Amino acid sequence: MQQTPSSSTELTALEKVIAFVDERVGLKTIQAKMLNEPVPGGSRWAYVFGSILLFIFIMQAVTGILLMFYYVPTADHAFASTQYIIHEVDYGWFLLSYHFWGSTAMVVCVFAHMSQVFLWGAYKSPRELIWLVGLALFGIVMGFGFTGYLLPWDQRAYWATTVGVEIMDKTPVIGDFMARFLKGGAIPGQMTLSRFFVVHVMILPAALMGLAGLHIFLFRAAGPAGPFRGTPEEIKAKTDYFFPRQIWKDIVGMITVFFTICALAFWEPVVLLEEATPDPGDYHPEPEWYFLFLFQLLRLKMFGGEFGQFLGAMALPGAFMALLAALPFIDKDPERNIFKRPIALIGWIVVMAMILLFTVAAIINREFLD
Amino acid sequence: MPSPVKLGLNVLWSTCWTGFPIKVGICLLFMALGLIHFETRIGLAFLMYLASPVTVFAMPILAMVAEPHLGEGAGIALLFLICIPIDIWATGVVAKTLFLEKLRLEPQEGLGMSLWLKTALVGALFMPILWVVVGFATETSISLSHGLFETEMLKAVPVAEKIGIELTLWGGASTTVLIVMMLLGVSLVGRVIRSAAQSAAPASGDYQALVTRWDLMRVPADQGLMLTATTLVGLVLSMLFWSGLPVSTPHPHECCKKPEVKAAPLYKPVDTLNKAEKHVAQLAAQVEAIEKQKAEEEAAKDKDKGKAGKAKPADAKAPVKAPATP
Repeated sequence: MQQTPSSSTELTALEKVIAFVDERVGLKTIQAKMLNEPVPGGSRWAYVFGSILLFIFIMQAVTGILLMFYYVPTADHAFASTQYIIHEVDYGWFLLSYHFWGSTAMVVCVFAHMSQVFLWGAYKSPRELIWLVGLALFGIVMGFGFTGYLLPWDQRAYWATTVGVEIMDKTPVIGDFMARFLKGGAIPGQMTLSRFFVVHVMILPAALMGLAGLHIFLFRAAGPAGPFRGTPEEIKAKTDYFFPRQIWKDIVGMITVFFTICALAFWEPVVLLEEATPDPGDYHPEPEWYFLFLFQLLRLKMFGGEFGQFLGAMALPGAFMALLAALPFIDKDPERNIFKRPIALIGWIVVMAMILLFTVAAIINREFLD
Repeated sequence: MPSPVKLGLNVLWSTCWTGFPIKVGICLLFMALGLIHFETRIGLAFLMYLASPVTVFAMPILAMVAEPHLGEGAGIALLFLICIPIDIWATGVVAKTLFLEKLRLEPQEGLGMSLWLKTALVGALFMPILWVVVGFATETSISLSHGLFETEMLKAVPVAEKIGIELTLWGGASTTVLIVMMLLGVSLVGRVIRSAAQSAAPASGDYQALVTRWDLMRVPADQGLMLTATTLVGLVLSMLFWSGLPVSTPHPHECCKKPEVKAAPLYKPVDTLNKAEKHVAQLAAQVEAIEKQKAEEEAAKDKDKGKAGKAKPADAKAPVKAPATP
């Protein structure tokens, strides 16, 4: 016997739309795949950095697009248009400052995310590809910082880029080509600005979107590594789904980061120096804070001269990155507990201490120069 | 039973981070209200605030005895006061989890409150000692490393190398002392936790049941209410934020300072109308007076012309005096 549907089973307009889309794209399957991912050992605050990075990138894209409505990427208008954004556009100063502090937050979160993966031993088999793509993403984030720094076209931007490109020039074989390609002339000028702008707003975002998609895909294919301690029974007992606990932690993390960036933008807004000129005057060129350790390293006498500069600026960081890339293939021990991997633990502490030490030394050196 | 250091680290590390998202929200709100200033010692203030389960009582002691300037703004004291209920909750949740999952013990009633109180008291006693010892070690190592580079043999060392080596020397010494002192403090907190654990009864139920118990401690009783309240607070804060945010930069660059604009006097339509009416009446009276005077002069002229025409017709070309203005 056929039953007539009661009023309670009738679909609302929204449900009808969802059913329509679901029928065509399998919305419910996607939703189930996205939210019902098991998290071995349960949700943790340590896992929030990946989601936070994605959130920061989206916010950087939004603020970057809004800034592009006013920014003019030409040598004679870049500085003036940036000043216009800061002084004339409604909330322009806040957008620019958010974008600036967002880039810093992105670097901090990349370091935190990479440290978490390294300490958790989450780069080990079967997650080698996730680690490799993550390293490429790290390079892209650094590239964003380097190319974005030039765009305001003030003295700080101009001279940091000049130093950066000169360092790049020291690379054997491709260094000269890379430096000439980025500069587009004898000294940084219109061509440099145009190329940095294109790299910053076209090439790097496209590369980041593609690689971030691949990173997430590989992560979902291999599944989360879970905690490095505990018996399989304990981990199984604590295993939870991605929704709702991990999502809740991710959202809290995102809100915290959002308001922290807002606070920094509010209390420490971007203030430009004088317009870029080929004469540094009293200004001591300096890169962004996350490159300061490398900058200070190059001040050491052992890294003086052509070869020394190449060694300090390209060979050492290059070798370090190569070591990181080869890490999952060198370290094949399945042990993930960081307290049972003394070399990895000591290595991480030494690298972090070196970065901190050279960064602080650069700040002290700055005071000495001033 | 794990060692006191392990117990202390287990509870303190998680407690600090559990309460952190709530505490940082309050801190940002206070900064927005101007109760706390964004100052140069923000790093130290952040660490003290993060470790508020230990530093809550130590903070005023340090401010009185060792370091009067730990943060700017009257809100600092209020901030640490508001931290207390958050820290009690966080200590309770973390300690109960440790008792159930790691120690398989039944947590006592009011465990969070009693542990927080003891931890904060230990912090109040230990933090000033840590402050003095680490401060002394840092100052001594700085002066020693400075003195080392004043010697003839090391005077020729280039600046960058000198800064790096000095920093490594005093930073290494001071960090080692700090770590040793912190481990000592953590072990004291661990002993407090161990004494509480020794009086606890074994927990009943299998591992899965224990995990479910501590997991449910983190779930609010009324999730709908919690979500609604959070959304409303978020909305109010967002509106406050956007209404309080200046449209143009509060830090204008030298090149782009806006010229000072003098405010135009307030326009009062009734007053202006009355004033205009008076003015018009005055002008009308003046015009009337002029016209009257002109008419009188005309009349006088005509009279004079009539008389002169009869007596002296040759004087007709004599200059005529202009009439006096009113």
